[in-house]
Amino acid sequence: MHPRSLKRLALLGLAAAALIAPAGIAHAQPAAPAVKVSHPIPQSLRNEHAEDREKLELLSKRPGKVGEVARKAIVLFDRHAATEAEFIMPPLTLLPVLADGKVTPDMEWAVAMTDRVRAEREQIFQQHVEVTDVLNQLIEAAEAAKDEDAKEFAEAAAGDAMNDVEILEPAVLVIGDYIRMKLAAGH
Amino acid sequence: MMSERILRIAITALLFTSAVPSLSHAAGDAAAGQSVFKSSCTMCHSVQPGQNKIGPSLFGVVGRKTGSEPDYTYSPANKSANLIWDEATLDKYLESPRTVVPGTKMTYGGQKDAEKRANLIAYLATLK
Repeated sequence: MHPRSLKRLALLGLAAAALIAPAGIAHAQPAAPAVKVSHPIPQSLRNEHAEDREKLELLSKRPGKVGEVARKAIVLFDRHAATEAEFIMPPLTLLPVLADGKVTPDMEWAVAMTDRVRAEREQIFQQHVEVTDVLNQLIEAAEAAKDEDAKEFAEAAAGDAMNDVEILEPAVLVIGDYIRMKLAAGH
Repeated sequence: MMSERILRIAITALLFTSAVPSLSHAAGDAAAGQSVFKSSCTMCHSVQPGQNKIGPSLFGVVGRKTGSEPDYTYSPANKSANLIWDEATLDKYLESPRTVVPGTKMTYGGQKDAEKRANLIAYLATLK
């Protein structure tokens, strides 16, 4: 089990849902919210999400409290994933180019997104709080059911949620500030 | 005579009021608090000395200064909060973390049940 963010897996689920929606998915989960995705997210995150989404889907099919909480988790994660896909993660796709020292006017779309991340930081944090809460519930249910697999998954996901707060979202803000600064300087 | 009685009542009321917070914590049930801890905190916090997880070790947290656990990377907000984690501060913080330390990275919404908070704090106080 890789330590993956449940929120990220939800994001991938969202992306996957967008890709395969026409064919339809036969499962009991609520449909991911419709999101206008104008820019993609980094491929590595999409891959992570695919693995984790699959895992969460499996957990949601387990009997009893573990399955019940996992189903609840999917709803929250899908909601947060919609936020991430819409304006948090896309600017990260620019990092390799920025690291090469290249900034071009066609990157301006990312500034609008990062400004939105800054403006909605508290709401985004609140989504993390709700995700943490459901992960706590999942661990509690997993312990009661002696489900080590589910417990490990929830703990790893919590670690990745903190990764978002500590690294990913601040990095997104820095990307926006950097592009704005460079474009203003005529690069 | 009358004013003396009123004064006594007022003093008694004052003493009672000021004693309530500490009484409520003193009345906390550490065993019940351990249960609250298990369901709300263990995902991120260890009670072993020096064992930092997503959150810092909570061994010895009562009486500790904010942002002071060695080898833990605190948020700037927590590091500069300059608070002592005594019972009263913990009570407020655990009720609404972002209210007491705006910008904390702890993604915990807070325990709104005062009795559960008191129990949790009673448990945390045993971690030494």
